[in-house]
Amino acid sequence: MNPVVGIAAFVAVSLATAAFGFYGLRISRTTGDFYVASRTVRPWWNASAIGGEYLSAASFLGVAGLILLSGTDALWFPVGYTAGYLMLLLFVAAPLRRSGAYTIPDFTEARLDSRAARRVTSLVVVMVGWLYIVPQLHGAALAIRITTGLPAWVGQVAVVAVVCFTVIAGGMRSITFVQAFQYWLKLTALAVPILFILFMLASNGTPAAADAAVNPTGAPAAGPYQTISLLVALLFGTLGLPHVLVRFYTNPDGQSARRTTLIVLGLLSVFYLLPTAYGLTGRTFAPGLAQSGQADALVLLLPGRMVGGMAGDLLSALVVAGAFAAFLSTTSGLVVSLAGVISQDLLGGSVRGFRWAALISALVPLGIASMTDSLALAGSVGLVFAFTASTICPVLLLGIWWRGLTDAGAIAGMVTGGVLCGGAMVAGSVLGAAGTPSWLALPAAWTVPAAFAVMVLVSRATRDRVPRTITRLMTRLHTPERPLATER
Amino acid sequence: MTRVRVTAPRSMAPRGTALTAARSAAASREAAEESDAGQVFVRSLIRSQLRLALVVAGGFLLILVAFALVLGLVPGLAESTIAGLPFNWVLLGAGIYPVTGLSAWLYIRTAARNEARYRDLVGDK
Repeated sequence: MNPVVGIAAFVAVSLATAAFGFYGLRISRTTGDFYVASRTVRPWWNASAIGGEYLSAASFLGVAGLILLSGTDALWFPVGYTAGYLMLLLFVAAPLRRSGAYTIPDFTEARLDSRAARRVTSLVVVMVGWLYIVPQLHGAALAIRITTGLPAWVGQVAVVAVVCFTVIAGGMRSITFVQAFQYWLKLTALAVPILFILFMLASNGTPAAADAAVNPTGAPAAGPYQTISLLVALLFGTLGLPHVLVRFYTNPDGQSARRTTLIVLGLLSVFYLLPTAYGLTGRTFAPGLAQSGQADALVLLLPGRMVGGMAGDLLSALVVAGAFAAFLSTTSGLVVSLAGVISQDLLGGSVRGFRWAALISALVPLGIASMTDSLALAGSVGLVFAFTASTICPVLLLGIWWRGLTDAGAIAGMVTGGVLCGGAMVAGSVLGAAGTPSWLALPAAWTVPAAFAVMVLVSRATRDRVPRTITRLMTRLHTPERPLATER
Repeated sequence: MTRVRVTAPRSMAPRGTALTAARSAAASREAAEESDAGQVFVRSLIRSQLRLALVVAGGFLLILVAFALVLGLVPGLAESTIAGLPFNWVLLGAGIYPVTGLSAWLYIRTAARNEARYRDLVGDK
């Protein structure tokens, strides 16, 4: 691929992001602006922003790559990524907004009336955020290497630099604009090239998918355990993602939080048709990428291979721009939510503290990413989902719907889920992809029930620790807001 | 405006700021909701919202299982095609999204209706 194409695309996306960040600088002034955009973002903006933030390297590159490798088995990934939002809508969206908390640790502290539960939650949120940023940076490294031939670390450093600049300049208000813009950029960047390719194939008279059943690597099909465990992780992991949840605080009320989620579902459904189309086309016309271990680069390479010439370069530039939008938007969303947590807990909650916290939240994963190798992107993000499903998800679900949850139960459950799932992740990386049995590679099917069970049992045993504020809190979480007295 | 002493049965200490008219209205609504009669309504709202969420989630998961079973058990799906695309790809790659959207839409409508009924019961205008 022409290296100028990749560099030009990255510079254009970075400039657009920075321009939005600068625009945000002029209108965000108070601490409230920085943290939750004053809670006045409209549902369409907010939904586009959630979509922009959520569609990470795993969705943009990883899903198509995995479909190329394992065919219909991999189609469960986009299904799970989307259906996770249905679970979020059903169990979490409106009550979480009505809790009035800024961050997940705020929620646990208010619900459980316990500083200790807050600290454990903060720790888990920071770990989730860092774990999630690392695959984004791996994606950036891959994209830079494939498209420009520059060393991989250039991509990682560039992404972190742009994110730090945007977040530190504008906080969440500008981030909302940036994210919303990046959803539509990502959609266009995937849609235009694949439509071009499909029309070209149709006019050449080639059957759209002659032999999609071809298995380029000869890998065995996934068994029922793999599919179930994957779906548990994706369905329950989404409702614990800190950068997604922080977005719900920017809705004006509970009902608009629900409407936002519905729009997000629509946006994601449209988006995920595209990586599926890339995967199917790649399986038919470029199965060689799977054998050469470049499956994750399928989306980046397919337009150039199929079209060629000037048009191919232009389409490639578009896809590369979309990929960088994906790395930038997810990373900046995570950095904002991590910085919110770190600055409130350690640095006193000031704007200055938020800026320092943003720097810390971006630099640590940069260090981790530069020391580790890229696994399959969709797979490593799937593991992060398993981790949130085993830690944050049980606290939220039980905290919102069960009066009996106590601080001791919440802490015990989070620690259990975190240790089991974290242990499985470490064991998996020690054993390597080939040597890991599937119950360790996809741990959610047993770590999530274990976390729930421990949380319920310990809460029952410490019944007298149920906070006295529980009646008032459950009322606040579940009753509709009055039209006027929204903020108290 | 002078400070107003809050006499509602609050379990948390009131914040040390002067209460505006809106805030005291909100406080009296909270007081009504925390009374025994108010809590009957609140608990029934929570129960109906939870039941609704569980029913929608359960229905959606059943459909998901049905999709998986059809893909796994019906032979020849990979060979049959729709508009040139293999049927199993269309089913899993595009067919689940409308189900997700429909479930979400049904849930939102019914949840809003539950809340409207609650508003009527507690006499909120």
